[in-house]
Amino acid sequence: MMAKIVTRFGEIEYDPENLLHFPAGLIGLPHLTKFIVMPNKKEGPLFWIQSVDDPAFAFVLTDPTNFFLDYCIVPDSNERQILQIEEGDPCYVLSVVSVPPDQKISINLAAPILYSPKTNMAAQVILENSQHKSKTPLPQPKKAMKHQIISAK
Amino acid sequence: MLVLTRKIGEGIVVGDDISITIVEMKGGTVRIGIDAPRDKKIYRQEVFDRIAEENRDAAKWNMVDLDCLSKNITVSKVK
Repeated sequence: MMAKIVTRFGEIEYDPENLLHFPAGLIGLPHLTKFIVMPNKKEGPLFWIQSVDDPAFAFVLTDPTNFFLDYCIVPDSNERQILQIEEGDPCYVLSVVSVPPDQKISINLAAPILYSPKTNMAAQVILENSQHKSKTPLPQPKKAMKHQIISAK
Repeated sequence: MLVLTRKIGEGIVVGDDISITIVEMKGGTVRIGIDAPRDKKIYRQEVFDRIAEENRDAAKWNMVDLDCLSKNITVSKVK
């Protein structure tokens, strides 16, 4: 049975069986536990998730290792418990991307989202004692610049 | 807010499984020791508040800006 919600991007139809679950919500937003993963219309590493609990909330996400190859976060035992996975189960890292109108895009490396594809569960964690910044500018990969030059011809 | 006065080495118990101890006081700074179960996340207030605010700010984006950006960012992963 498909369900529908009205968001600020219009009406979205979704399968309630196929949601991304944040059992603890996001940091400071504990009520946002269920999200629709929105397929990427445009090509590229960015996609977005739409809250089902509060239609006002949607977040742009990306796989940070697209931009920072050595960025690696491993869930601890407590985080594995939230994600309902065992040690060694696959766990991916996603980051919240800020997309302001001035296009000064930044990525939050200080509060990554751990995601288990096995259980469709996710948890946002704060890396308190690390060098990672919450407003890290998103570097333009060299390939993308080349692509731009070509398409500008 | 409950306000309690404590000396160095004294503590506070919160619920069944959290205890907080005053470890040291020096130059206007207080060092606090916290014993809590691992599943109780403990953050410095200002760090938590900043991430919470940035999450709320990150939710205020427009589709037109995302479309515009997605056009300009393409990634081919090199490992």
